[in-house]
Amino acid sequence: MDPARRLGLAQIDVVAQLGVSTVLLGGIYALIAVGLTLIFGIMRVVNFAHGEFLMLGMYLGFFAFTLLGLDPWFVLFVSIPLFFVVGALTYAVVMKGVIHASHNVQIFTTVGLSTALQNLALVLWSGDFHTVRPWHALTPVRVAGTAFNLSQVVAFVVAIGLTVLLFAFMRWTHTGRVMRATAQDREAAILMGIDTNRVYGLSFAIGIACVGAAGVLISPLYAVYPTAGLQFVLLSYVVVVLGGLGDIRGALIGSLIVAAVEVGGSYRFGTAWKEIFYFLLFIGVLVFRPAGLFGQRGAETLGV
Amino acid sequence: MRRRLAVTLAILVTLSAVLTAVTWGQSGEYKIGVLEPLTGPLSGEGKRHLEGFEIVRDMINERGGVMGKKLTFTVADAPDPTAAASEATRLITREGVKIIAGTFSSRLCGAASEAAARANVIYWETSCVDPRFNKRGLKNVYRTEIDATGFGWYNIEFIVKHLAPRFNLKPNQLKIAFVSEDSSYGQGVTESARARAKELGLIEVAPPEYYNFTTINDMTPVIVKLKQLNPDVVHHIAFSNDAPLFWRQAREQNFQFKALVHAGATGYGGADFGKAMGHDGNGVFALLEPGPGFKLDSLKPEGQKIEKEFRDAVQKRTGSYPLGGHQLAGGGLWLLKLVLDKSQSDDPDKFRAAVMSLDLPVGTMINGWGVKFSETGQNSNERVQHYMLQWQNGQLVTVWPEEFTTNRAKWIPLGAWDSRK
Repeated sequence: MDPARRLGLAQIDVVAQLGVSTVLLGGIYALIAVGLTLIFGIMRVVNFAHGEFLMLGMYLGFFAFTLLGLDPWFVLFVSIPLFFVVGALTYAVVMKGVIHASHNVQIFTTVGLSTALQNLALVLWSGDFHTVRPWHALTPVRVAGTAFNLSQVVAFVVAIGLTVLLFAFMRWTHTGRVMRATAQDREAAILMGIDTNRVYGLSFAIGIACVGAAGVLISPLYAVYPTAGLQFVLLSYVVVVLGGLGDIRGALIGSLIVAAVEVGGSYRFGTAWKEIFYFLLFIGVLVFRPAGLFGQRGAETLGV
Repeated sequence: MRRRLAVTLAILVTLSAVLTAVTWGQSGEYKIGVLEPLTGPLSGEGKRHLEGFEIVRDMINERGGVMGKKLTFTVADAPDPTAAASEATRLITREGVKIIAGTFSSRLCGAASEAAARANVIYWETSCVDPRFNKRGLKNVYRTEIDATGFGWYNIEFIVKHLAPRFNLKPNQLKIAFVSEDSSYGQGVTESARARAKELGLIEVAPPEYYNFTTINDMTPVIVKLKQLNPDVVHHIAFSNDAPLFWRQAREQNFQFKALVHAGATGYGGADFGKAMGHDGNGVFALLEPGPGFKLDSLKPEGQKIEKEFRDAVQKRTGSYPLGGHQLAGGGLWLLKLVLDKSQSDDPDKFRAAVMSLDLPVGTMINGWGVKFSETGQNSNERVQHYMLQWQNGQLVTVWPEEFTTNRAKWIPLGAWDSRK
């Protein structure tokens, strides 16, 4: 039979598999992007070191598994407070000094932090590629003609849970309101008696806690190495801009859209095309809806 | 107080200047530049190559060095092509080296050698396999390893001569799918393998699937597509993060094929794959330098001696059998010594004459290699003998050509995913 003729979306199980892959991959992207959108949206700081915190989370998952035999699902609970502290410390030591500086200075600072962390990992743990293989990463789940991995499903569930929690936190708690107020108008927030420095510190710490947890959760899925973060970070900017700066729901939906473009494009046209597609989407969003799909109108220039 | 400090400083500066002058004058050292990616995504293999260089440098120095002097290195880091070019230039202008060895990756060797060629410095490549490397008409650029064309050629040779008969298929019945990362290494190997496969009448099930290894996060779309195309052999050229990703997801998707063939000391050919997969990696083939099972007595006597000493030296330093990176860098540096023994000079013309005059049969050097360079500065496919290795229970062992090894390939064709024990 002509092999080319058999290719096509007509087969229902192919569509189902691509759908499942999209949702699960989108979950991983969302996990990484929620932290970024929080920092981006509230602090207006482009955190180029975001991927490196992800990498640190992956190493935490790796070392806890190989040295202590701890399952990444368990380490997840440790990682959230741990990375919260790491985030708060990073804010106090590195970010606080540049939060009112120009964007150029902030970019140089976070890029510097990113390079420093990458090389720190390289010096401490070598450039080898490590893999974490707990039982759930080895357990394929087969449902109705589709197959996926248990670690991936849990990562997806956690991503949804985290998004809902953060969304609720931002919407219904006092602290969340304060954070949103700071994002909308820094000057007015100060006049209302809000300690913006504390808000920034808190946002950064929460953002880093999210990405640290993401790192631990994806450690069974991807190779752990010093520049592992670069694999995801560029893409999470696309997600964040697509969903709207600072919009947590937007980050989730943006992730799913990017994943759909990636999976569908790779299947239909070849993997080489996937970046072309989602960057076209990125440019399209910037041209037609600069605030993103869910972003507040004009939000992209707030606080700039 | 300040004056005293100034005086102390002045004394220190003078002293260190004198010391430098003294060591410079007495040294009797011959310094070459070594350029490898020691940071960034390629650093894992880059460091292994550097280790290989250092091991063989010590072997060379135990045997009297080069040109009567102790061989030393000035090491530079080349994480990306821009850094490769600028660091090569720095080695030449600031460190004054006349020979640069390096740089392992096909992403780097082009830029680095270009910089060396501009300064009329000898560039000695021990690993990169980009086929364009020796087609630029650069007179002082040499490569000891074969290029990707050779890799592709060997791979198809193995598939047609060794695998096809065991699948009970004629070459023109064998369906092959090409998947590859998209650097010049992946493209070079893949395109040469495709050309050779076409000559021999293999059936290519679809156009090759190229992807960027630094941004690939999901292989399922590719696997779903391949499953529909149902190839017998998957020819996959991968780096160290995408190889385990493909293998894991192929298993999840229960993608059944008869064999997977890779080439090169990275991806499926790197130690990290075995560590990552353990027994689940069973059955994968990678074209490489010889591994365990390689018969010393299949080499010429002088080859046996040097190969044994090399293995022992690597074992002593790393505690393991030589890995691909060690073998490429080590074999290449040993060859540089042979050339310098002959030329007794780093003058580019004398050096070139010595390179061209070397003519050693297969089995005389580290890795069982021989030597015969072409006018383009490329060691020949026929002399740089390559071997097919297979992952068997966490170890990469030599399985082909069979006359060189005590091991035999298993799992032909690959059975169900859980039955490869």
